[in-house]
Amino acid sequence: MLLPMLLPMLLFALPGALAPNAATAQEAARAAASAEAVRGEWLPMAGRSVDALQLIDSVLIAEGADDHFPEGVPQRRVSLPDDWSRSRPGWSGPVWYRAEFTLASAPPPVLLGVQLARACASLELQLNGQLLYQSGPMAEPYVLDCDRPRLLALPPAMLHAGTNRIDLRLAGPPREKLGSHQRAAALSALTIGPLDALQSRQHLQTLLQHTLPQALAASLLLTGGFMFVLGFLNRGESHLAYFGALSVAWALLDARLWIREWPLPHRASELLLLAPLPVAAWAAVQFLLRYSGWRHRAVDIALPAQTLLMLLSLLLVPMRHFHLLVLAWSMLLALEVVTAAAHYLRRQRRERSLSFWLMGGLLAVVAAAAVIELAAHFASVPALPAQLAQLALPLMLVLTGLRLVQQQGLARQEAEISRAQLEQRVREATAEIERNFRQLSELKVEQVTERERKRIAADLHDDLGAKLLTIVHTSENDRISTLAREALEEMRLSVRGLTGRAMRLGDAMGDWRAEVVSRLAQAGIETDWSAPEELPYTLSARAYVQTTRILREATSNIIKHSGASFCSIQCRVRDGDFRLIVHDNGEGITSEPDGRLDRGHGMATMKQRAKQLQGQCLIESGPGLGTVIRLTLPLERALETS
Amino acid sequence: MKHILLLEDLAQIREWLRKIVLQVFPDAQIVEAARVADALARVTATKFDLALVDLGLPDGTGVDVVTKLRDVQAECQSVVVTIHDDDEHLFPALQAGAFGYILKEQPRELITEQLQRISQGEPPLSPSIARRVMSYFANKAKPRADATLPNVSLTERETEVLLRVAKGYTLPEIGVQLGLSRHTIADYVKQIYRKLNVSSRAEAALEAQRLGLFGR
Repeated sequence: MLLPMLLPMLLFALPGALAPNAATAQEAARAAASAEAVRGEWLPMAGRSVDALQLIDSVLIAEGADDHFPEGVPQRRVSLPDDWSRSRPGWSGPVWYRAEFTLASAPPPVLLGVQLARACASLELQLNGQLLYQSGPMAEPYVLDCDRPRLLALPPAMLHAGTNRIDLRLAGPPREKLGSHQRAAALSALTIGPLDALQSRQHLQTLLQHTLPQALAASLLLTGGFMFVLGFLNRGESHLAYFGALSVAWALLDARLWIREWPLPHRASELLLLAPLPVAAWAAVQFLLRYSGWRHRAVDIALPAQTLLMLLSLLLVPMRHFHLLVLAWSMLLALEVVTAAAHYLRRQRRERSLSFWLMGGLLAVVAAAAVIELAAHFASVPALPAQLAQLALPLMLVLTGLRLVQQQGLARQEAEISRAQLEQRVREATAEIERNFRQLSELKVEQVTERERKRIAADLHDDLGAKLLTIVHTSENDRISTLAREALEEMRLSVRGLTGRAMRLGDAMGDWRAEVVSRLAQAGIETDWSAPEELPYTLSARAYVQTTRILREATSNIIKHSGASFCSIQCRVRDGDFRLIVHDNGEGITSEPDGRLDRGHGMATMKQRAKQLQGQCLIESGPGLGTVIRLTLPLERALETS
Repeated sequence: MKHILLLEDLAQIREWLRKIVLQVFPDAQIVEAARVADALARVTATKFDLALVDLGLPDGTGVDVVTKLRDVQAECQSVVVTIHDDDEHLFPALQAGAFGYILKEQPRELITEQLQRISQGEPPLSPSIARRVMSYFANKAKPRADATLPNVSLTERETEVLLRVAKGYTLPEIGVQLGLSRHTIADYVKQIYRKLNVSSRAEAALEAQRLGLFGR
């Protein structure tokens, strides 16, 4: 909101500073009037340009308390601008000025006007002895209307051909009794000319001397108030509060721009107008120190004490030394601020931050403005630099404020981001903890289950297992011992979690081969085992056990009944089926009269087992032809692990 | 084979085992024991050539007897004969120094054959045990945090032998396949058993050191 307002101001102010002849009131007027401007002669009527402006910088001066220009008293000629602090120290007026100009004819062809760039403090203007304008009383309290340029139309009826007189009565406090030279009584040169032509000068001067300072002061008040609240609420950002205080105090220093009439005794109004100065210095020093991350208790106490002391001293000092004291105090305060600024810049430079250059530039501008401001106390400073200096200080404050708000915003953003990251991390950690806890619980359950299973397994093995084993090895009946062995295997599967783990087909074939080959070798039967290498299939534990039984039964049959001398065993995987072919060269099995091949050789059991696995077991045999057992198991089924 | 220790708590099974042993070693002198304490007492008294040790006994585990035999009678071959076929029983027994692991429910002729092999100097090694031993050493081979353990790993030949045993080949068959004598193959198997034992002893020593049993 501030920026759009500030930019045109900058654009406007810069060319003015670079080209001194361009814009300010007096210089422009002087140039226009030129050297040949003769006092009192109105040139346009003598055939010159109607637009020409006449600068009157030489006037008659007389002192007197009358309501009209004192005719009988000594008169002197002085040149304008007339600064009382130099021309009549200690004088508070009133003083009469008389300017004369000549008109070729009356009424003039255009509406004429008179323009005053600066008139301080109370002013009265008479045209040809008639009162045209009055501002403020001619005794204390004077009006504080120094910064507003004045433009007055000269009523054609009051003008006459020949010499016309403009009488000005001026009264104001002497500089000695003032806190600021800006309020000291003074009168600038007069410009007379067509009202239209004067209007643009008036606009420019009003902008520079009144409107811009007002706008800046308003901006300062707003940003300062905002930042003060911001810093006050957030103790970690106390420098913001001090900056806000500085801005507000500076805005209040320009209170004369808003309130022209102070219905107070002179000293009271001066004190009120000056009160923000030590506060501003206090805030500026603290801001610079806090901003560079340094604070000290002694400083925290000394600065408010100094403020009180300054106001107290101003309250007590004789009025004629008022200005001197203010000057001394101003020097001290400036020195303090400069020290704090140096401290700040040294800190910033060590950190090599961008802020060093930004703030350094801003502070340099402020310092230059302060130097011009101080110089104005001692000597007459050209109007333009003085005006720019007055504008520079609040402008820099506004820029600094923007910079601080930007930093604050960035910091907020960063804080927001890091907070979000932190939240994310906390969420992740929480999820991790929950996951770990869940895993731990599951693990615990698993461990307990496993321990219990082992305990049961051990019990079963030691007790039931031992009994079954006794039956296996002591029963004379093959059938019973086989049943007991199977019961033992079933028990083992049960205690391992029903069916146990799936088994790789390759491993299963290894087990089968070892058993079959060594048993047959033991019985003196030559064996040829052929099986493919590395099969990517698995068998469920149940399929493994059942197949082991079938193979074991077949081997037993060969050893016990076939009388074979050779046996070939082939393992194959084809069309998703596992195929096992056991072929011996024994006597073969004679069919029973009822057509069945079984002779107590467990063939039916073998077929039944194969059926349980969704496979089939074919047995081909004939007397003298040996026996072929073909076992086919679907691996899809066998793949199931449970 | 002259002196054989037979540790088994069930009288009927012990009798059955005794018959098998006598069938394989007709002139053997068999000392029978039903408890760990009995067996330990016998071990200090008599020198054995072979010990058949059951694991689950009323007063303890047969592993203690295997350990004791390894420590005081290094020449004696301990063979575990048990009903338990899980890793929790197998590895402690092998690591204690057992030179064979026979499952009781196997058919009689298989047990007979395994005992015969032992008499011929071939430690019994079933395919499933070979597979588990392989994975045991494979786990050992993984890089570990503390390198203080002696590097007990299998040689290429030993691994090759284990791999073939796991596929169901008998030791003589493996001998033919590798172009080595069956005795050499049997030596590899013995070496594998010994390495199991060494690795477990190293672990035990390390554990003891960690607990400060030997000081520092």
